[in-house]
This record gives sequence, C-alpha cells and structure tokens, in this order.
Amino acid sequence: MKGNPKRFEFWGILENACPGRVGLLWEANHVKKTLLMTAALALLMAGGAAAADLKFKPGEDSKFNWQSFEDFKKGHDLKGQTLTIFGPWRGEDEALFKNVYAYFVEATGVDLKYSSSENYEQQIVIDTQAGSPPDVAILPQPGLIADLASKGYLTPLGDETQKWLLDNYAAGQSWVDLSTYKGKDGNAALYAFPYKIDVKSLVWYVPENFEDAGYEVPKTMEDLKALTEKIVADGGTPWCIGLGSGGATGWPATDWVEDLMLRTASPETYDKWVKNEIPFTDASVVGALDEFGWFAKNDKFVDGGAAAVASTDFRDSPKGLFASPPKCYLHHQASFIPSFFPEGTVVGEDADFFYMPPYASKPELGNPVLGAGTLAMITKDTPASRAFIEFLKTPIAHEVWMAQTSFLTPYKSANKEAYANGPMKKQGEILLNSTTFRFDGSDLMPGKIGAGAFWTGMVDFVGGKSAADVAGGVQKAWDAIK
Amino acid sequence: MIASARSPLIIVVHISVLLLVALWTLPTAGLLISSLRDKDQLAVSGWWTALSTSSQNLTGRAASPEAQVEKDGKFVIEGKLLEGDTAKVSAFGVRPLQPSAFEAGKPADLGDGQTLTVNEDGSYQIVSPTRMEGTRGQRIFYTASVPPRFTLDNYREVLNAAGIGSSFINSLTVAIPSTIIPILVAAFCAYALAWMPFPGRAILIAVIVGLLVVPLQMSLIPLLKLYNGVGAFFGVPAKTYVGIWLAHMGFGLPLAVYLLRNYMAGLPREILESARVDGASDFDIFVKIILPLSFPALASFSIFQFLWTWNDLLVAMVFLGTGNDELVLTGRLVNLLGSRGGNWEILTASAFITIIVPLIVFFSLQRYLVRGLLSGSVKGG
Repeated sequence: MKGNPKRFEFWGILENACPGRVGLLWEANHVKKTLLMTAALALLMAGGAAAADLKFKPGEDSKFNWQSFEDFKKGHDLKGQTLTIFGPWRGEDEALFKNVYAYFVEATGVDLKYSSSENYEQQIVIDTQAGSPPDVAILPQPGLIADLASKGYLTPLGDETQKWLLDNYAAGQSWVDLSTYKGKDGNAALYAFPYKIDVKSLVWYVPENFEDAGYEVPKTMEDLKALTEKIVADGGTPWCIGLGSGGATGWPATDWVEDLMLRTASPETYDKWVKNEIPFTDASVVGALDEFGWFAKNDKFVDGGAAAVASTDFRDSPKGLFASPPKCYLHHQASFIPSFFPEGTVVGEDADFFYMPPYASKPELGNPVLGAGTLAMITKDTPASRAFIEFLKTPIAHEVWMAQTSFLTPYKSANKEAYANGPMKKQGEILLNSTTFRFDGSDLMPGKIGAGAFWTGMVDFVGGKSAADVAGGVQKAWDAIK
Repeated sequence: MIASARSPLIIVVHISVLLLVALWTLPTAGLLISSLRDKDQLAVSGWWTALSTSSQNLTGRAASPEAQVEKDGKFVIEGKLLEGDTAKVSAFGVRPLQPSAFEAGKPADLGDGQTLTVNEDGSYQIVSPTRMEGTRGQRIFYTASVPPRFTLDNYREVLNAAGIGSSFINSLTVAIPSTIIPILVAAFCAYALAWMPFPGRAILIAVIVGLLVVPLQMSLIPLLKLYNGVGAFFGVPAKTYVGIWLAHMGFGLPLAVYLLRNYMAGLPREILESARVDGASDFDIFVKIILPLSFPALASFSIFQFLWTWNDLLVAMVFLGTGNDELVLTGRLVNLLGSRGGNWEILTASAFITIIVPLIVFFSLQRYLVRGLLSGSVKGG
C-alpha cells in the first residue's frame, strides 16, 4: 500500500480504537507501556541535562559583559545553599529564563529550583499566607505586589538598590515609583526589582503588503487615522482587533485605551486615573475610550466587523495580517505577539512594527511609551535571595536574555548589540528613548477593577454600550471596593 | 398487535438514545480530530473542515535569489511550494490583493522580463534575463485544493517534553494511595455508623453530611499552615507525598463515608443477625460479610476518587509544590501550554494521553462493578 506514512498511522489508530472495549484496553495497555518507557527515557535525559550548560560560553563573545560575570562570581559563593524562585514563565519562556539563571548557578554554585504554575497569582498568595513562600518571587502585577507588601510578606531591597535603579535604568524615577510600595508598617519602601519589560505601544504590519498597496508608515496619530480611512477607501480592512482571552477577555482593549490615554492626556492625569484620584467618568478617560471606539466600533475598520472584536481570540487575531488576501493591515499589540505569528515568520522582514504615533496636535506630551513587565522580589530573606537580586544588577543577567528572544530592558549599561535581532533592538531603543514610561494601567489598578470591571467594561463597550455608560459602570465597581 | 403498539415508542427511544450518544461523543471526536491536526491549521479552521478536501488561499515564498542558477544565459530559481504530493494548485498571483490572477502552469509577468510559473503540483520557476538581486525570495500567493492532512506531531511533542515521564509517575504516586487510604478508612467508619449503635451516632452522620458542602478551596491556607507547623516541629519538609495523601483523604472522606454508610445500611439485617448468632464478632462480620457485599459501592467510589485525584491540579500544586521534581501530570501539561496559554494544540493531544489511565481504571473496575451487582440478584432469599 503506497501512501503518505503519516496518514497510514492515523488510520491505524482509528482501526485500533474500533474493535471495542478489548481493543481499546489492549491499546491502552500498549500505550501505557510506551509511556512508561518514555518515562524511563525522560528520566535518563533529565539526569543528563542536570549539569547546567551555559548557552553562551563565558569570555567568547565580546558583545557580552563577561567582566561583570567574573566580578559577580568572585564576590559570591553559595555552595550548599538552595534558592527557590517562583515566576510567571512557563513553556518556552521558562527555557529562556533557565538559560539566564544557569549563569547565576555557575557563578555561585547554588542549588536553584525554579517553578511556576498556571494560577501563580493565587499560588503565591496561598504560599505566603501559609508560611511556605519561595525565596524569590517574580510577578507581573504591581497591584498584587502592593497587596503582598502591605501584609508584610516582602523584604525591602534597601536604599542602595533604589539608588542603583535611579542611576542605571532609563527613566529611573518611573521605575523606582513602580517598585515602591507601602509595607505593613505603612512606610513606603522599595520592594521590587523590575526585570524584563514588554513594550506595548506597537502597531504591527506586513511591510510587503504596505509596499504593494503604496501605504506609508504613519508618523502621527492623524496620519494613522487617515491611513485607516484610506485603506477602507481602497476596499481593504485596516485593523485586526481581538479581545478574546478566556477568563481575561477584554485586556487587549485596556492596552488600547491606556495607550490613547497617554497620547491625549498628561502622564500626571494617567497616574491619577490608575489610583482613581480622578473618577473613571472623567472627560479625559471617556475621551480615550471614544478614541478607541473610533477604531474598534466601526464595522468597516475592523476585520469581521465590530461584533467580531470581542469574540476573536487575541492569539488568533494577528494571523489576519498574513492571510491571502490580507484580512487586515494593522494590529496593535505588545512586543510579545510574534510568538503567535504563523510559523516561519521573520520579524523585521515578513512582519514589522512601528511606534504607536502621538497626536501632532499635542506636541507637549512627547513620546509616551506604555509597557508592562515583571518584577522580582524577596519573599524569604536569605543570602541566596539577596545574591540573586545582586545578580539582576549585572549586565550579563540582561544580555543573556537579550541575546535570546522576547526580552527588553531599560538597563543603560547592558550592551544594545546583544539584542538577538534588529526588531528587538528597535523596541529596546523605543524604551530607552521614551520621554514618559508608564506601566500598564490595568495592572496597577486593584485586581477587581484592572482584572475585572475594566475588562468586562471594554467587552460591553465594543458590544455597543456608550463610553459614558461603561466608564460609569467601572467607577461604580471601584466605589464598591473602596 | 403488541409490536405495532410498541414500535412508535421504541423508535422514539432509539432516536433519543442515538441523539444523546452523538451529543456526548461529538466533542470527543472533535478533540481527537483536532489533536491530529497541525498547529497552524487549528488556528484558521474548525475540525469539521479537516475531513474533506478544501480549497485554500495560501502564501508561500520562493527561494532567495542566492539560489539562482544560470541556464542557457538565463537565471533561474526553482523550487516547490507544497510539501507532499497531494495538493493541487489551481491559480496563483504575486500581489496579496489578487491571489489568483494567473492560472496554474501559465507564466506570469513580474516586470523587467522576469516570469514566474507555478505548476499544478506546486513546483515553481522564476526565469530572469539578468542576475536577480536581494536577500528575500518573491512572495507567491496561490489557491490550492488541500486534501485532509493529519499528523502525530502534537502527540510527539507532548510525549517528548522533558519531565513528562517523571510527572506521570508522580501522578500515580499521588493518585493510587489517595484512592486506597480513604476507602479503607471510610469502610470501617461506614460500618460503625451503619451497624454499631452508640450515642450521638445520628449527629455524627449529620456532621459528616454537612462536611460535604465545605468548599475545599477554603481550607487550603489553614491546612497548609498546619502542615508547615508540623513540618517545622519535626524538622521535615512540609510538602510531601504523605501530606497530599492525607489532604486527598480528608477531602474525599465525607462523600466516601456517606456513600458507603447508605449502602451498608441497606444490606439485609437478617444476614448480620444470623452471623452474630453464630458467634461472629463485629470485625468478622465486617471482613467476611459486609466488605464482599459492599464491593459495588467500594468500586464505584474508588473510580470516583481516582478520577478526582488523577485530574486534580489545585491540591497537588498547593500541597506538593510546583517544582520540577514534584510536578504532577496535569501541572506539567498546563506548563507546556506556555506563559500565555497559546500552545493549545498540546491540550488536545494531552487530553487523550491523560485519559488513558482513568480509562484503564474504569474498565478494569467496571467488571467488578457489574459482577458485584449481579451476585446479589441471582441468589435470591
């Protein structure tokens, strides 16, 4: 029988499954055996991989700051100690982080155990409250960190680290502000160390489609709006917007609103907004909502029409850029999105991005950048956890991840040449050149708002509710938790 | 007469049964088909489209100009767009807005004397009178009819993932004792509650039934605190297998005791009384009479408890930990999905891999279940 071997395997499985219970049992037993064999193999392989290999050999590539690695190695010896790190990275991201902490292990000899869990937000709360926290926790939600700090579960990092951030991170003050929380005693202190940043103010497009249709990358928001209308006039659909994300449906729209908020109102207004010092129903917030509505609530501007916005999964929506004929030309999303592009897409060639432009009519706002990121904090004060925070201050801890993928840093001493490719370098420069950096507002708001009412409000908004109604609803929810 | 009177009802019954069976198996069938499709296809079309040949607009890229060879004074790039030999190209184009501007097999003019030809089998040829430049190949848009295509890649990816084997063993280490221990304890307890009169028995039963409604999530933090305390006192780690066995036992006991007590209370009093007349102690009665008679209830509860502990993620994460060495299978598979949960093609394949063990348990215990039920009915009184 000639044929595609893959197809043959498939029919084989069906045939095996059909003869009924006996067949199925046999099959199950057979698979169990195979599984056990795989298990044995996996154990063997895990044993072999335990000897940490460094991804880049120390001293070899001059784009890395090996001096910082050697210096750190000399100053720290943690042999016989253990360090447990609990973080948000799983799957591929975990492998990337593993390559970074391998250097920490190599330098100190510490026994490092990294773990993560799908419900890491709940897990860290359970573990800190029950008294079995990890040594170091890495979390992406400042709102959650504020909560942990206020209950006294975090150890302050000290003035020295604060000074270090001010001196070494671009827009240092905004990072210090982001990492400063009120402790159990009510005094504000630096509790977290920002490490690994995502830039959110990006618009993705396919350069060849732009070239083919004769479109130019817009430099101002007015141009972007004109381009949107021009694409419609040419018979195309400009935007792919998808808000679907399971239980978190709605969050991509909050990024839009925050980005537009930074472009229509001052950063001070933004800060007041995320703390609810101005109400959600403030004219500036409603204005930003309406700006987003201009893009998302017009059936002609969005692939599938406005009704499809809330139901399209955010992971699937960028795929419209690459369809033939293209389903859309523009997609607003953070720097992580290339992981959801079709396999084999080369960022920088097949797909590219531009900075979400500011309004020409509001030059006083400069080039604001919206971002997000993860922050490391000490949940159990040990020499090893202190040493890990010190390790994050070395250029090498940044450069090793820069040289891989999906990592940006505002650390000025990290060598920009270490970025793995042009697009990452470009994003890193957006971060370094920003006049204003603001953290994702929905992460700064209390969980019930930033990860609740704001999300659902945005789904209602694209579903047809007016901006004023939505803002009123979110404010009501906020009043209820005050 | 009888047949004609009954037949409409029978037909209705048959149709409803068929509908119910279809309703229950359809999602599973969809999952199975999805698990055999590749990642990119999953993202763009539903599983029901996977079974028939479909016409699709695809995008490909010719080899880069570095691959050109000189032939009879002309520069030629050759290659193939489709893997395998089953798809058929019907039309192609070079602009995204006109993906089917040219018929397959006919040359398309690219300007500057260059021509592109895409044949039905997906092979293409770019011919140019001058040397081609640039680093990126020409984009080619084409319409092709693609026959159903299946792959075992998702299964390979899951089975080859590091640590799956040890997680599988961890899961078994958690699930098997967590099934056996509560059954042992609950059977003793249920016998006492059903057949040994003592003061406050009714209240005790009511309390146990009341415990059924306590949500397990509520007890996570206090219980872990207790474990941490005990661990610190004896100088042992707080998160161990013994800990999770006890936790699962605690969470499973109320239902187990309640189920078994009700079953045992329903056994005929005469058997027990005659045994007692013959001089059997409570322990003898329990071991020699009650246990064999309660086999159906024991088997059904053990299926229940095993499924619950095998599928559990939350309790294992909290009481066993999330480290690489102690991760259970469910935890490992969730982590495979990636930080943003994007690799959901893995879910489909892993669902079928995790289902295997519960299936074995179910089918092997189901035999006892049926035998236990029958053994009571045919003897008669």
